[in-house]
Amino acid sequence: MKNIVLKTASAIILIAALFVFSAFEEKAEVSYKCMIQMMNYTGEKAYVVVSLINPEGMYEKTLYVQGDDKEWFPDLKKWWIFSDNAKENLDAISGATIGNGERNIISLGFNSEQINAGYKIRFESAVENQEYYPQDAEIELNTATIKNKVGGTGYIRYIRMVPNR
Amino acid sequence: MVISVWRYSHLLFAIISSIFLLIASITGIILSVEPITKKVAPYSVSGADELSLAETIKTLNKTYEEVLAISRDRNGFVSITAIVGGKNETFYVDPFTGEKLGNLIQKKPLFQFATNLHRSLFLKSTGRFLIGMASFLLILISISGIILIAKRQGGYKHFFASVVRENFSQYHHVIYARLSLIPLLIIALTGVYLSLLRFNIIPDTQVSLQVDFNTIHDEPQQEFTAFPIFKKTALSELRTLEYPFSEFVEDYYIIRLKDKEIYLNQVTGEILAEENYPIIQVMSSWATVLHTGDGSIIWSIILGLGSLAIPFLTVTGFIIYFKRPKTKIKNKYKKKDSDHLILVGTEGGTTLQFAQELHKQLIAVGKKSYLGLMNQYSYFQKMEHLIVITATYGQGEAPASAEKFMHLLKKHPQQKAFKFSVIGFGSTAYPNFCQFAYETQKALNTLEKSTEYQKVFTVNDQSFESFANWTNAWSKQAGLTLHLEKPTLPTKSQPASTFKILKKVEISEDDTFLLSLKDLNGAKPVSGDLLSIIPAKGAHERLYSIGKLNSDTLVISIRRHEYGLCSNYLHQLKEKEELTATVVQNRNFHFPKNAKKTILIATGTGIGPFLGMIDENTKKKEIHLYWGARTTNSFNLYKEHINRALEFGKLTNFKTAYSRNQTKKNYVQHLIKKDEKLFLETLNDKGCIMICGSIAMQKEVIKELQQLCIDHLEKDLSYYQNRKQIKMDCY
Repeated sequence: MKNIVLKTASAIILIAALFVFSAFEEKAEVSYKCMIQMMNYTGEKAYVVVSLINPEGMYEKTLYVQGDDKEWFPDLKKWWIFSDNAKENLDAISGATIGNGERNIISLGFNSEQINAGYKIRFESAVENQEYYPQDAEIELNTATIKNKVGGTGYIRYIRMVPNR
Repeated sequence: MVISVWRYSHLLFAIISSIFLLIASITGIILSVEPITKKVAPYSVSGADELSLAETIKTLNKTYEEVLAISRDRNGFVSITAIVGGKNETFYVDPFTGEKLGNLIQKKPLFQFATNLHRSLFLKSTGRFLIGMASFLLILISISGIILIAKRQGGYKHFFASVVRENFSQYHHVIYARLSLIPLLIIALTGVYLSLLRFNIIPDTQVSLQVDFNTIHDEPQQEFTAFPIFKKTALSELRTLEYPFSEFVEDYYIIRLKDKEIYLNQVTGEILAEENYPIIQVMSSWATVLHTGDGSIIWSIILGLGSLAIPFLTVTGFIIYFKRPKTKIKNKYKKKDSDHLILVGTEGGTTLQFAQELHKQLIAVGKKSYLGLMNQYSYFQKMEHLIVITATYGQGEAPASAEKFMHLLKKHPQQKAFKFSVIGFGSTAYPNFCQFAYETQKALNTLEKSTEYQKVFTVNDQSFESFANWTNAWSKQAGLTLHLEKPTLPTKSQPASTFKILKKVEISEDDTFLLSLKDLNGAKPVSGDLLSIIPAKGAHERLYSIGKLNSDTLVISIRRHEYGLCSNYLHQLKEKEELTATVVQNRNFHFPKNAKKTILIATGTGIGPFLGMIDENTKKKEIHLYWGARTTNSFNLYKEHINRALEFGKLTNFKTAYSRNQTKKNYVQHLIKKDEKLFLETLNDKGCIMICGSIAMQKEVIKELQQLCIDHLEKDLSYYQNRKQIKMDCY
């Protein structure tokens, strides 16, 4: 009898601990402020997608979509294959497109475990009837280097990130 | 031919762009609602526009963890982007309290759908190009339309003058085109502008300010509330304000105001760079507002109504085109061999059908006839007879196919003497009746080799009867016998019916008689319709105005002419005998349903249809009847009808003028001046004046009415004619 009680109690404690732990894990979110500065290109407003890339180099999740018209999402081919398959809900993380020479400041949230663990933030971009850049800019999620300005190769001039206050 | 060029280009552009314009206009109507739904959203805070940037920023910084940007849209709603709980959020705020008022208005799926269809037909760049092109064509359609209206109205001065009404489509096409002209031109021009911007044909120049980072100072330090630019700039001036990215002095405020962009040092409040927007950007902003109506309810409504006009104008435009009869001219003889030349001046082609009939009959009797347009006037080697049949366009100008005629007359002098006759087609319902025919006659008279064969003959309302009369007179004079066949015009005649003669009343001293008929086949005429009677095989039809006494008794009033084929035929009919005749609808001479006051003017047998109208006046509306006749005896025929009508209140008033009773002749038109008050009241109160009788009387009556208008009313008589306040049926 005593044994059973002990087993049950320990099970309950274990489950409770798991809950507490997971709750703790939820709270350990690190937030960064990120600025996307666009080039002075000519053409339509650019669609930019910010995604988290895991250490294996695969898409982990979409962090932000700069572009509110779903009609154009498939133009960002590589990302769309992942996001469409993963059936991500993008409504909450979409914002307006911005034009050439403009900048956008967004807030990106990460799990503390993902910091300094080989994760990267990828910026890919496309403009209607123009080239698609699957890797316009990429930043390592590394506290030592994250504040460095990173130049883009496509429509993005540079990316800057600072931890949120 | 100048009109034709404009008309064909107007049509051609419309055909090319119609599908795209229809799509764009229907989606445009939907989209015009969007700015209105936005504007009425409850995010406007009164007095917020006067708030300074310094006050606004202070309040917002206090309320939120971190603000990234502040914007003010065209509706005057202030929104901010802020980091709330680690996440970006954009929402409307009350700038006085910083309180969140609501989330950004999401574009509704319907509007998103309509926008995509409107811009690009879901065809991306191809669609954008097509829509841009359609927009450009709309400009061309508008311009050719302006020219066509000006031509029709007789000059740009008369552009907004009242429009001569031919039929529903034509009338309303012109009326609504004029009304929607300015919004449509603005929509089209801005549409083209935005397309050109999209395709980078107009370069989308941006302000690109440069900051010299070597000269950035971090002192003297100042509170942002003390920055002069924040203190003096009102919120109403703001478009967006972006906060510095970080606290480093190298990061600065980016302020976009209505007219310029400024970079501001976040520590010292010093202006780092500043530039006014380039002119193209200002124009682009205006083009967007004008095209979308963003921020203005009134302009959105105007744009919506403008868009609504496009489907209407497209449909009525095509109806006008398809209704216009097309007749091809075929000639057996070359013009240099022909002795009879028939030249036609026509706008739509109806006149041509009559000319063609004459042409055919001339050839049938062995004459070498050539049929052409007046613009084809040239040197005719063998011409003996020139017959000009012409309509009149607008305010007495040449119709499309006769525009060059006057010029050609001078250019091609004839060698051989010839005789000429001119026939004018027109409608007495409009001013300048057959004006161009008279001018043609005058011009032909000045030629060296020409001899006037006959005076100008006018044909009212495409009456085949009067055209046949002219042909008879002309062929008699020329020693020919011609029998015209009636061309099939799209008249709404009903199949022939059989009528039984119920009663014949006659007074011998006046040679007039009244026939009461009973319809045996169920034709349903209305008083004012016409009864077409062909008295003998091969004879021409005669038309009589019908008065409807009750559901199956019709009355026609006839004057017997000594040699009149039809009047004698009708006269010899006895009671209970049968008669075959056709009812022809004559909608322009029906009793007005809505007029409170109606004046009927008739001479002689013209009273016929009015007997029916008066009899049907069971509601006892005000009707005044003016009647002119030769002697008091003439009245005996109608006495019973009139007296009964007066007794039952169906007729308010009856006044007569007898021309042969007194030494001084009294005509019905003289009564108008006496009762001018009643006539003026009737015209002013949207009442109706109906005239039935001889053309001579009609001319005199119209002259009197015209004088009344000149003396007492601000508008011309044609204004009332166009509003169907004056109806005529004269012969």
